[in-house]
Amino acid sequence: MRVPRNRVLLLLATVSIFGAGGAAYSAQSDSQIRQADFSTIVFFVVFAVLTLLISFWAGRRATSSSEYLTAGSSISAGQNGLAIAGDYMSAGAFLGLSGAIYASGLDGMFLAASYLASWPIVLFLVAEPLRRLGKYSFADVLTHKLRERPIRILAGASTIVIVSFYLVAQMVGAGELISLLFGIGYGPAVIMVGLLMIVFSTLGGMRAATWVQIIKAILMICGSAMIATLALTRFGFSLSDLLKTAAANHPNGNSIMEIRGFSLDAIATLSLGVGILFGTSGLPHILMRFFTVSDERAARISVFYATCLIALFFTMLFFIGYGSIAILRGDATYASASGALFGGNNLAPIHLASAVGGSVLAGFISAVAFATILAVVSGLIIAGASSAANDLVVGLSGRHLDERTRLRISRISALALGVLGIVFGLACEGQNVAYLLALATAIAASANFPLLLLAIYWDGLTTRGAVVGGTFGLVSSVVLTTMGPTIWSKVLGLGPAILPYDSPALFTVPLTLLVCWLVSIAKAEPEKDWRLAQPSVAQYAE
Amino acid sequence: MHKTTEVVPLRVAADRLGALRFRLALLMIVSYLAMMSFLIYSARHTPLTSAVASNLSSAMVALAICMAFSVILTGLFVLVRNRD
Repeated sequence: MRVPRNRVLLLLATVSIFGAGGAAYSAQSDSQIRQADFSTIVFFVVFAVLTLLISFWAGRRATSSSEYLTAGSSISAGQNGLAIAGDYMSAGAFLGLSGAIYASGLDGMFLAASYLASWPIVLFLVAEPLRRLGKYSFADVLTHKLRERPIRILAGASTIVIVSFYLVAQMVGAGELISLLFGIGYGPAVIMVGLLMIVFSTLGGMRAATWVQIIKAILMICGSAMIATLALTRFGFSLSDLLKTAAANHPNGNSIMEIRGFSLDAIATLSLGVGILFGTSGLPHILMRFFTVSDERAARISVFYATCLIALFFTMLFFIGYGSIAILRGDATYASASGALFGGNNLAPIHLASAVGGSVLAGFISAVAFATILAVVSGLIIAGASSAANDLVVGLSGRHLDERTRLRISRISALALGVLGIVFGLACEGQNVAYLLALATAIAASANFPLLLLAIYWDGLTTRGAVVGGTFGLVSSVVLTTMGPTIWSKVLGLGPAILPYDSPALFTVPLTLLVCWLVSIAKAEPEKDWRLAQPSVAQYAE
Repeated sequence: MHKTTEVVPLRVAADRLGALRFRLALLMIVSYLAMMSFLIYSARHTPLTSAVASNLSSAMVALAICMAFSVILTGLFVLVRNRD
C-alpha cells in the first residue's frame, strides 16, 4: 500500500512536537536550568502546530519546483519585506546580538549596525538585476553571460558551503533555546529541532517559509517591543538610569559604552565589517527572496520595508541588551556569580523576558524565537536545495531536468542539508551565534559577491575568470576562516590559531575580484562564450 | 537601423542609473568605514574613568547615525527609482 509522503511527514512532525512537549513536562522536576513552565510548553505547541498547518497548506500547492522554491513569484512587496526582515530577525540576531551586548556591551551593536549597513548595498547593486535575470538561484544571473555548466557547479558548491555555515549558527541558537525551554540536553534539543525543520522545509517549501516568516516577524517585533518597554519601565523610562545601572553592574564598567573588544585589533574589526557589509549580497537565502516577487519594483520596495523593520528591531535589541546587563547581572536567579547567564549568554532576551514579564512573556518569546529558528532554517534549507537541484545537479549531469525530477532532488537535498545541520550544530555547542553568522557572511562576501558584481557590471568577465576567481574566493575564505581563532581553537580545539583573524573578508574579497579580473583579461574567450543572449544587465533601464 | 536609434536613449538612461547606483553604494561604504574608524578611535582614546556614565556615548551616537543613514539612503534610492 502506498502511503502519501505528506501524511508521513505530518505524523513525524506531530510526534516530534508532542513528544518534545511531553518530555519537557516530565523533565520539569529534575532540570537544573529550567526556567519556563506549563505556559511555555503551551505556547511552543501552539506555535509549532500553527507552523505545521501553514506548511501543510502550502505543501498542497507545491506541486512544481517553481511553487516549492520561489512560491510562484506571487509574494507581494510588503509580504516579501516582512519575510526578508524575518530572515534577518533570526535566532542568531535575536539571541546572538543580545548575548553579545550582554557579554561586552557596544560590541554587539557594532555587529547590528554592520548588518543594517549591508542592506543599501544589496539594494543598490544586486536586488533589481537579480529579479530581472534570475529564476531559482543567483547562478541564473551568471549564466546569462557565462558558460552554464562550470558556473552552475561552482555556484552550487558555494551555496551549499555558505548555507551549511549559516545553518550551524541557527542550530546552536536552537539547541540552547530548546535546551532551556524544555530542560533537556543540548544534543537531544538539536536533534529535535533538526527533525522538525526537515519536516517543515521538505513539506511546505518557500510559500510556507515566507508565511511563517511574516507571522513570526510581526510577533518578534511586538515581543521585542514589549520586553524593551517593560525593561525601561523598571527605570522609569529613563535611558540614563538604565545605562548607569548597566555600567555599574558590568565588570567592564564604562567600557561597555565603547566597542572595546573590537577596538583591540583594527584589522580584525575591519575584516569582520567588510565581510558583513558585502556578505548579505552573497547570502543565498536572502538573494532567493528576490525571486519570490513579481518584478524589480516589488524587489526594491521590499528591501526598503525590510531595512526599516530591521533598523527598528536592532534598536530594540539595544534596549534588550543593556536592559539585560542592568537587570540580570547580579541576580542569582538568572546568572552565576561570574555574570554568565544560566544556559549561555545567548539566552539573555529569554531571561530578561522572564525577569520583566514573568513566565508567560518568557514562554511567548521562547516560542517566537523557536518559530524564528524553524522559519530561517527552512529558508536556508530551501535555498540550498534549490541550488543543489538547479545548479549542482544540472552542472554535474550537463542536462536540464524535468519539473518532477527537480522537485524530487530539491526535497532530497533539503533532507540531506537538515542532517548536516544537526551534525554541525552538535559540534559547535557554546559558540556565540552572532559571531558564527558573521563568519558565514564573510564566506558569502568572498565567494558569491565578487562574481555577482562583476557579472552584472563588467562585460569583460569570462567563464574562466569567474570559475578561477570564484573557486579561489570560496576555498581561501573557508580555509582562512577554519584557521582563525573561533574554528581552529574553540570548535576544533587544535591549540593556538594559525591566523589571528576570524573573518578573512578584508583580504579575500579584493583578492577574488583581482583574480577574476586578471584571469579574464589574460585570455579573452571566443565571443560566443560571453555574448549575451539577453540584454546586458548594465544596459537595462525601465 | 530602427534598433540602433533605440539603443542610444537606453544607454544614456543606463549610464545615469549605473552612476547613481555606484555613487550611493560608495557613499554607504565610505560612511560605514568612517563610522568604524571613529568607533575604534574613540574606544582607544576615551579615558576610562571610575565615574559611571549616564548618557549615550559618542560611539553610540555614531552607530545610531550610521543606522539612520542606511535607512535614509535606501529610502532615497527607492524614491528616485520609483519616479523614473
